[in-house]
Amino acid sequence: MGSETMGSFTAGSDSTFTPHPPPDRRRGNPALRRWLPALAVPAVIAAGALAGTIPASAGDPLPARTPAEVLALAASHQVESFSGTVEQSSDLGLPALPSTGPGADPASAGGAASVVGFLSGTHTARVYVDGKTRARIQVFDRLAERDIIRNGNDAWFYSSKDNSAAHLALPEHASDLPLSAPAQGQDPSAPGLPGDPPTTAVKTPEELARQLLAKVDPTTAVTTGADVQVAGRTAYNLLIKPRSDATLVGQAAIAVDGRTGMPLSVQVTARGAASPAFRVGFTSLDLAAPDGSLFTFSPPPGSTVKELAVPADGQAHHGQGFQPPTVSGTGWDTVVGLPAAAAGGGAAAALLNDPLLAQAVVVVPGGRLLSTALVNVLVTDDGRVFTGMVPPDRLQAAASAAP
Amino acid sequence: MPSSVPAEVPGAPAVPDLALPRRSGLSLMVSELRVLFGRRRTWALLLALAAIPILIAVAVRLSSSVPAGRGPAFLDRITQNGLFVAFTAMLVSVPLFLPLTVGVVAGDTIAGEANMGTLRYLLVAPAGRVRLLLVKYAAALTFCIAAPLTVAAAGAAAGAALFPVGPVTLLSGDVIQPGEAGLRMLLIAAYLAVSLAGLSAIGLFLSTLTVVPVGAMAATVVVSVVSQVADQLPQLEWLHPWLFSHYWLGFGDMLRQPVLWDAFGRNALLQTGYIAVFGALAYARFTTRDVLS
Repeated sequence: MGSETMGSFTAGSDSTFTPHPPPDRRRGNPALRRWLPALAVPAVIAAGALAGTIPASAGDPLPARTPAEVLALAASHQVESFSGTVEQSSDLGLPALPSTGPGADPASAGGAASVVGFLSGTHTARVYVDGKTRARIQVFDRLAERDIIRNGNDAWFYSSKDNSAAHLALPEHASDLPLSAPAQGQDPSAPGLPGDPPTTAVKTPEELARQLLAKVDPTTAVTTGADVQVAGRTAYNLLIKPRSDATLVGQAAIAVDGRTGMPLSVQVTARGAASPAFRVGFTSLDLAAPDGSLFTFSPPPGSTVKELAVPADGQAHHGQGFQPPTVSGTGWDTVVGLPAAAAGGGAAAALLNDPLLAQAVVVVPGGRLLSTALVNVLVTDDGRVFTGMVPPDRLQAAASAAP
Repeated sequence: MPSSVPAEVPGAPAVPDLALPRRSGLSLMVSELRVLFGRRRTWALLLALAAIPILIAVAVRLSSSVPAGRGPAFLDRITQNGLFVAFTAMLVSVPLFLPLTVGVVAGDTIAGEANMGTLRYLLVAPAGRVRLLLVKYAAALTFCIAAPLTVAAAGAAAGAALFPVGPVTLLSGDVIQPGEAGLRMLLIAAYLAVSLAGLSAIGLFLSTLTVVPVGAMAATVVVSVVSQVADQLPQLEWLHPWLFSHYWLGFGDMLRQPVLWDAFGRNALLQTGYIAVFGALAYARFTTRDVLS
């Protein structure tokens, strides 16, 4: 460039104007120096990104505790009011679902599909809890949101996608129960663990940790790992390892906040896998009581409002012809079988018929199988449903053994 | 007058002061903005952006009501509340129309002057190449602020003209008054302005590479489309957080109660990174090249 320049203006002829050579000539080629920022900036960004991936060193090391003491700490924590952001990500080995563009959100397709949505990818929710009876969960979708608001005996569900609201008046005796959604979006094969009572599709680390800790028994080895940092807090890392070889679960790690004992994150790793198949944890946490106005909800104008029936008791939705599920195996190897007539079985069978999940379902001898890294679901040809955190052949064995 | 301006050499008065007074950065900025917004093309771009909400409002007005959950988000709310025209229009214009107009303005910055043969006069002024680059980028940023504001204002006006205006239902189900809704609209416009800052920096750099402004404009628009396509491919998931278009549709967080600032912060950080990288590239390219036209 610049070969056809007039002599007195070329870069090399500046000594015509300056009797002394410019001082910065000593520092090398000026053109090269001007490209330096263009090289340095990406290097700085790369260094910053790398530094961000290094886990922050624990500020104040926590006092050493035995696993039993950490268990007791988690069981006795007193945190009842907090607000925070929860992130859940699943890598269960299901095929990638169609991208959730603004118009093609699986959440819009209704019950089964929204559960399928939670089985893959990453989801973010904001959780506000004030005491035992006031809570709000906001599940974020792109340009949409699903809210669950509980204030005393009133529970509201709101979906911005179709501007619909549902109300449920909880019975008096339910006032101290933990928040659960006995309505839309529930399914026995939600990403929780089989056999647990149905709850909302997004679980807080607290709920999931409670369910995992309930499984701690002689079939489980409990140890503690190095302290971890979760949501800017130092936490004990409780490692739960099934002693049984028959389960798909390799290890569950629960981060227990060192100061309060509150479970901050849960990661479940499949046997033989390097990274967790399912994780849920706080990315930010504030232990102050949230603003009370967050818990008052009235359906917005123009929304469709549905009044939900109150279940008379916990099992009411199974109806008159309720048959108890068959349970075989113990501890982590438990296989739960639902008879064909049970409401839950029908829902699970419907789930396998969902067009999104259908591609993940394989036909096996005796039925159809939905196989994930942590949970397998077998729907037999006669409509019974068997589920458990065990390999498929165990489900088939349970199915043939069951009456 | 010289027929070309060679690359600047620091410390050396490479170009003698040709009796033109050295203009301050501010007056250069003012004159640059006057040129940008005095141009018929700039007004045509803004008018085209304003036409989007008007088109949406008229189409919804003339057609039967939109069933809930169909079409772009917020479209079904318009008949109940005209302010949603602004939200729908901003959503619709994010993937193509806003990047298109910003690409035209940012791609024209340096290449346009070079194409018209005015660049060397700007440089012999002598305003200094760094200052010229900064002023050009600032002008492009001003357009990034003006463009979403135009969509929002035209949307609110068209919606108010054709539909009733009332309290706005947020994504969280909470209801806010129209005044606060206007504030949220400004927040979204600010979010979009920040979102487009990185693309402007890319356009500025591309504009220093060529003397054909159309080439720089087209390249900028293509880059924005490629980035959005890459953002949709699950195979490139590791790349997604690094794409400048990754948070473009995250402005829905401004419509939650309370406002969720995470995406805003991450977006701002990402765009700052793009500004730094492509600003440095533009600086390197523009200060080392010989200006021939």
